[in-house]
Order: sequence, then C-alpha cells, then structure tokens
Amino acid sequence: MVALTIDGRKVEAGAGSTVLDAALAAGIEIPRLCHHPELTAWGGCRLCLVEVEGQQAPVPSCGLAAAAGMVVITHSEQLEAHRREVLDLLLSDHPLNCVICEKAGACDLQRYAYEFGLSESSHEKEIARKLYQDENAFLVRDHQYCILCTRCVRVCEEIVGASAIEVAQRGFEAFVATPFDAPLVETPCTFCGNCVQVCPTAALVPVDRIGKGREWDLTRTRTVCPYCGTGCGIEVATRGGEIVSVSGYGAPANGEFLCTKGRFGLGFVGHPDRLRRPLIRRDLAYSLGLIDTPPPAALGRSPLGRSPAAGETHVEVDWEIALDLVADRLAAVVKESGPDAFAGIGSALCTNEDNYIFQKLVRGVIGTNNVDLCARV
Amino acid sequence: MTNSIREIRDTDCILVIGSNTGEAHPVISYEVVRATRRGATLIVIDPRKISLTRHAALHLRPAPGTDHALYLGMLNAIVTRGWLDREFVGGRTEGFEALAAHLEAWAPEVAAAACGVPAEQIVEAARLYALGLRRTAAEGGESAPPRGASTILYGMGITERSNGTELVKTLANLAMVTGQIGRPSTGVNPLRGQVNVQGGCDMGCLPNVYPGYQQVADPAVRAKFARAWAQRQSQAGRELTMPEAPGLTFIEMIRAAADGRIRAMYIMGQNLMMTNPDATLMERAMRSLEFLVVQEIFLTETAQLAHVVLPAASFAEKSGTFTNTERRMQLIRPFARPPGEARPDWAILCEVGRRLGRRLRRPLRWAYGSAAEVMREVAALCSIFGGITHERLETVGLQWPCPSPEHPGTLFLHAEQFSRGRGRFHATSPAPPFEPTDDAYPLVLSTGRILYHYNGGPMTRRAAPLDWREPRAYAEIHPDDAARAGVRDGQACLVSSRRGSIRVQARVGGVVPPGMIYVPFHFREAAANLLTHADGLDAGAKTPEFKFAAVRLERLRAERSGAAGGSHPPPE
Ligand code: SF4
Ligand code: SF4
Ligand code: SF4
Ligand code: FES
Repeated sequence: MVALTIDGRKVEAGAGSTVLDAALAAGIEIPRLCHHPELTAWGGCRLCLVEVEGQQAPVPSCGLAAAAGMVVITHSEQLEAHRREVLDLLLSDHPLNCVICEKAGACDLQRYAYEFGLSESSHEKEIARKLYQDENAFLVRDHQYCILCTRCVRVCEEIVGASAIEVAQRGFEAFVATPFDAPLVETPCTFCGNCVQVCPTAALVPVDRIGKGREWDLTRTRTVCPYCGTGCGIEVATRGGEIVSVSGYGAPANGEFLCTKGRFGLGFVGHPDRLRRPLIRRDLAYSLGLIDTPPPAALGRSPLGRSPAAGETHVEVDWEIALDLVADRLAAVVKESGPDAFAGIGSALCTNEDNYIFQKLVRGVIGTNNVDLCARV
Repeated sequence: MTNSIREIRDTDCILVIGSNTGEAHPVISYEVVRATRRGATLIVIDPRKISLTRHAALHLRPAPGTDHALYLGMLNAIVTRGWLDREFVGGRTEGFEALAAHLEAWAPEVAAAACGVPAEQIVEAARLYALGLRRTAAEGGESAPPRGASTILYGMGITERSNGTELVKTLANLAMVTGQIGRPSTGVNPLRGQVNVQGGCDMGCLPNVYPGYQQVADPAVRAKFARAWAQRQSQAGRELTMPEAPGLTFIEMIRAAADGRIRAMYIMGQNLMMTNPDATLMERAMRSLEFLVVQEIFLTETAQLAHVVLPAASFAEKSGTFTNTERRMQLIRPFARPPGEARPDWAILCEVGRRLGRRLRRPLRWAYGSAAEVMREVAALCSIFGGITHERLETVGLQWPCPSPEHPGTLFLHAEQFSRGRGRFHATSPAPPFEPTDDAYPLVLSTGRILYHYNGGPMTRRAAPLDWREPRAYAEIHPDDAARAGVRDGQACLVSSRRGSIRVQARVGGVVPPGMIYVPFHFREAAANLLTHADGLDAGAKTPEFKFAAVRLERLRAERSGAAGGSHPPPE
C-alpha cells in the first residue's frame, strides 16, 4: 500500500495501482475515455489529465503509477478548460446524431459532452472517417462515430488474443482496420464482440440491436450463458420480451467478457421452431384413436437426414392427455418387467433443480438407479 | 476444476492438454492469453494446431492416441533430474516409490519414440512445468528461482478416450510429484464441456451416487433420502425403500435398450442422436424402446423418435441454478415467457412424479412452490451444498463445498489435504486405442466442438449470426492426405468408417497433422457420430472414445459433390 494525497484527501492505493485507480477507489471521479480497467493504459485521449505537485505539465492519471507522498489535483480551472478542449475537438469530428443514435444514453462521449455543457463544437466540423462496414452478421463498424480510443484494439489483443484489428495510418487519416482492410471473417476475428462491449461510442454495434430500442427502452436481466461450462455471467437486454442484445457485466467467471456464442447465440430462445404444446407420435396417436390419418412413411426415416415438416411426425395434444399417457405407459412397463426395465437420462443443459427432481423421480418413484447424464464429461 | 478460472491469469506456467480452449471454452482461453501477456509460459500438448498455439512457448504434437507416453516421459525427466517437490511428495502423498520404479522404463527417449515428440521437447516441457518457470526465468539458465505456480487445463481430448481415467491419473501424478496442486493458480483442471454437466453430476444424475456424491451403496444414505422424499401420510405401514443395485451407465443403457432389456426411457434435454458415438446404434436403441419420452425445447433428432414429447421452458424462461466448471453455483433468471404451454423441466417432472407415484404406489412429496424451494431440499440433504440458497446466490454465486450458511465457498480444493487423505500415485501404462487404423481405414478421426456451434446444433444453428459464420459440416484434412485422396480444399468429400459415412466440405490445411481428420459433430446433415464407435469404453468412467476412430477419405464423383450429407450403411 502507498499513501498519497488526492484533492487534499489522504488516499491509500494498492501496489501497482495508478493514480486513476486510487482516485476511483476513493470515490473521486476523473473523466476518461480511453481507459478501461481490464486493459493496459494507453494514455491517448488525455481527458484524465491531473496536476501533480512538482511536475510542470499535467499528466494522464490512467498511466501514472501511484507513489508514496504524491500530491495530486484532479479538478482545477486549468484542467477543466483542457478537458473541455479535448471534448470540443472530439465533437468537431463526431456526427452528433444523438437523436437517432443506437448508443444514446450509454455513450461516454455523450455523457461528457452533457457534463461539460457542449452541444456542438466550436471548431470547424469535419468528419474524418466515413467507412460503414457491415460485411458480417455480428457487428457493424460505423467509423464516423469512432473516437480512436483504441479500447477495441487493446481488448482484441490483450484479452481475446486474436489481434484482428489495429490502428491503420496516422493523424487525421487514422482509423481502426483489419490488416489490408480485409473483411473481419478473413482475419483471426472470433466475433466475440468484446470490442463492441468496450467501445464507448456507437462505432461498434451488434447488427441485431439496430433499430430495436435505446438504453431507456431496455429491460436488463442478469443470468448465465446457456452454452459451455465456463458459466459466464451475461446481461440480456430485452424489449417487450424480445432479446435486443447481450453483454457482459463483471461476473465472477468472466468479468465483462464473453465469446461469440454467449453474446450472439441466443436467437434460439424466441425461435418459431420452439415446442409450444405436448406432442404424441403419429402412429401412437392413431392407435389411441386420437387422429384418423394413418402414420406417414416419414416416421421410419432417420432423423439424421432431412428434417421433418411441422406436424409430420407428431400431433399436438393437451398436457393432461400427454401426462396421463406417460404415467400409464411407464407404470405398465415397471409393473410388468420391474423398475430396471426403465432408464432415465438427465441433462447437462438443464438446471440443478431440474436434475435433482429428475433423479428423485427415477430413484424414488420408479425405483431404479438407472439414471445418468448423456455425456460422461 | 480443483482451482478457479480467475486464478489462471496469475499462473507462471500453463499446460493445456487435449483442450481446444479457444473454441470450446473461449473465455477461459482469454485467461490463458492474459497469463502469457504477463509473462507466463504456455505449453500446448495437442496433435492439432489449435488457436492457443499462437501464444505458446512450446507446442508438442504427439501422434494421435500416443500422448500417454509423453506424460510418462515428462514424469521420468522430473524424477530423474530432481525437479520434483520432495517436501510435497513426502508429506502429502503415498506410493511414490512404486511410481518411480515404474517410470524407469520411460526415459524421455523411449517416450519420444512412442509419441513422435522429440526428447528435448519432452524434457523442456517437464522442466518448465515442474518448476513453474515464467518466460524470463526459463531463459535464465541454471540459477534456480523459487518454484512458480503451474496449472494443468485439460479437456475432452483426455477424457473421451478408451483409457481416459488412466490419463487423468497420470496428469494428477504430474501435479503431485511437482507439488503443483493445492495452492492458488495450480491444480489439475478439467474444463467441462456443457453448461451444467458439473451440476447434473452434483445433483445425482449418476447411477452410483445420490446428490452430493453420497453413495447408493450406503444403506444410511438410501434411508435418509427415503425418509426425506416419502409423503408423510403414506408412510403408515409401508416404508419407502430405495433401490440398492447401482444403475447402468449411459452406453450400457443404450445397449440394453437396443437388445430389449430396457423397455422404456425418459430423456430430459439431451439430443443423444447427435451427441453420442455410433448414431446408428443410438437410433436402433431408440427405435427398440416400447416407450420413449423426450422433454425438450425443440423437436430434435432424438425427440423425433419419441412417443411423447413434452415442451420445456428454456434457460431464458425459468429460475434455477447452473454450476460451472469451477464448481460455482450461479443463479439463472427468466427474461422471457415460455412459448405456448411450455413449462420448466422440474415442474413437468413433478407432475409426472405425482401421477406415476399413484400408479406405482410410491407417493412422494412433489409440492414445490419454486426452484428455490427445490434447492432448499438439496441443501438439507447434502452437506457439500448445505449453505447454499438462492438468496445467497443473488450476487456472485458460491463455489462448493459450502457446508453452512456462513461458509464463503471454496476457491480451490486440496489446500490442506486430498479428499482421501494422502494423494495416491498411480503407475499407469499406455494402452492402444480401441480401433487402430489399418489399410482399409488408414486415418484417425477425431471429433469435437467448434467455436460457433454447440452439441447437436439445435440452439446455435437457430442463432442467425452463428449459422451465418459456420453454416455447413466440414472436415479438417492435412494436405498430404488430401493429395493422396485427390480431395481439394473447399470441395465435398466422403469420410467413412466401419459404421457409416458422411459427406462434408474439405478444409485442407495444417491444423491437423498428417494421418488425422477432425470433424465437428454439430451438423445433422453430416453427423460425425455416424462414424464414431461406442466400443472400448473407458474402464473407469465408461466414457466413449470420441477422439479416435479409424476412417478413410475419398473424393466424391462430380454429381454427388455439393451438398453435405450422411448415410448409415457404409458404402463398400
Ligand atoms: S469481435 Fe472479438 S476478435 Fe473480432 S475484432 Fe472484436 S474483439 Fe477482436
Ligand atoms: S471503434 Fe470504438 S473502441 Fe474502437 S477506437 Fe473507435 S471508439 Fe474506440
Ligand atoms: S460466453 Fe462463451 S465461454 Fe462464456 S459460458 Fe458462454 S459459451 Fe462459454
Ligand atoms: S483515459 Fe487516460 S488518457 Fe484516456
């Protein structure tokens, strides 16, 4: 631990922390755009400048190691003027489309412009980057909104390890690009969308959320990704029960990062193919007198070929009919051949509660230990 | 996992074995990337050039199915060159002398001859892992820094093998002989494939244990559950007795179904037609059943064969808990309404339980108001989950063991001692795969996941962006094998085993070594599991060998190429 003074307050900072970390931990806000707590400091936006006693010029606090005895000032007239100028310059190169922008309400630039009372730039307006890249089904890169904070580049290299994007060219011409400007699908990009997650503006947006509503329209629910055993925490944004987008939120297993399945893979939830009512196979329904059309030949075909049309193999019935049929048939087998003529398979995709009740049913009611998970690993 | 995911970033040396972490557990691979960026040494042991090899200091590529020898060679090097942790071996383990004697036959050169990895690389991997050397330390030569923290991450490339249990024991030997277990950022860490495979096992969906790994064979355990489950008023006169004999494991069930010993089956949320070996056998088993119930969210390939299909709510529409690969139980919360009349799985099962209980005169208590109430019953019956409630899981979840309401959960296992007291070394020996290659089927088929899809594909193939990125089945083929078969990159080809054949797109490149073909198993129209076999189960865990089947590769005549597809009888 090191002790330093920030804005006249004595502050303790852990080993290896920066002045920005120390300030934030003490509840002192410092405006910042390129900083991200999980990424290395870059120091490019210069919004987080602070005055340090004994140093001539202000320094970016995001890359400044906290040292014992340091005396730091985070807010002064001079610093405010400087921050205002940084934002003013960014706005001169930014569309200010907030009324129709997907990111409105969740955009860091908009937030700081609001805080500094900047409705437009005092400089000549000229948008440097005009590329609009929507060549993939995951994310749109709308460069006019890019403020070149490089968070996306750093997350892709430092966390994902893909290094699919980099800053190409220099100065006013600079933009975030793939090598040789190839489509993302031809690069090592894994479509994890972590660049979208860390982007402070609307420069990176999931394809699926465009036009689906903005921050204040969304309901956010924290749950767990339904795919692999990592168990990433996800935050699902919905509107009217429909999924708009998925993001990370700082969960224990994954922090705020996700992979492509967790972020872009929930389309199955509201899919029209979802089962809505209990089904009985057509040959059984026919023999029970529930339908009078004889079973089709398709019932004998392997399911590993063509997928059947809706209603081709099964008919919908009421829950009561289905549940009684299940109970009748299982009871008959157990009575005739004993409980060990039955086997049950639980699910690695269902919850603990589901699986607990499943084995209770198999052991407690049927009376056999023939219960297993489908995959043993 | 013995340790936690977040500990990986602070590791000094990481051994990734039989896990394509970047595709199967991408977010865990981010931890590995972070560790390497902080200077950790990454060693990948895998025949395939997986994405993590880009960050690896060493990539050892044993010939498929021969890696056991490699681990024995590493163990030999560790013991003979004095890189072992004597204090740990002396204080916390037993059986070391027998292991050391057994290892004498496995000099690195012997191992090298068996697995095709140069002896120097085996020795170097052993040194880096045993001493936990970071990249800078590794280059620093002889001056010995204090032993760093090394971790082993392994996947299905270890467990889905006919000798998987022996392989896991061998990895445990590596960790114990070097003391790389029981501390932060160490351990032997299986990366479990499916979201709640850990939880399904924890909750007793296994033929030999009740929830919380309490033995079926123990009469006191059976009596405890009988008492807890029985409906009070029914107990007069008749005690509920619980079955004593251990049940069948999954593949045993399938065989029993195929030959009529199992007459009825209830399958909850598993598309076994796609995700299990020898799909032809699976279909025969399913069709032999007199009564099959499948509880599902889609009409999967398995559900299509069911007599009754019950519509279930998905994770999006119900409450409950999942347990991840680091033993962390986490809450899931509904954010959508179930379609139509679909219901949560546990609620459906309670309905079935009530009705079936009446018919079989085994009435149990099924009156749960919520999933949270189910968890209260679990906690009351299982000491390792004793302190877990949905309320406590609201914020960050809990890693079991968590025996009491005050217990904070367990970050890593085996800190003071192993569950059985002293850690036991096992002298293991390599075994050949069940189905070796031959002239007719000269290539090794390995099957597994890819980044963009999951299991039999019912979920991911209905997620538009994922299906856009990876819409069709393919096989990774080495250029030499492709040239020999006259198969060209991007064209359709035929992959056949003794059990069936599939048409897939050829992806010719250096990902697989010569002699190996890799096919993902997510695609119904070219189901990789028509090729795999359900024989030669691992003796311990009864896991099928998904990672090794003998196949051959053929080019397709022009009129048949194009679409991917599969067929049952192998074309002769
Ligand atoms: S989606 Fe992921 S891999 Fe692709 S550019 Fe963004 S961060 Fe990199
Ligand atoms: S795309 Fe977004 S994250 Fe990347 S540099 Fe531009 S503003 Fe920053
Ligand atoms: S987001 Fe990706 S890594 Fe995380 S649990 Fe889901 S599938 Fe696994
Ligand atoms: S946040 Fe420090 S320079 Fe951008």
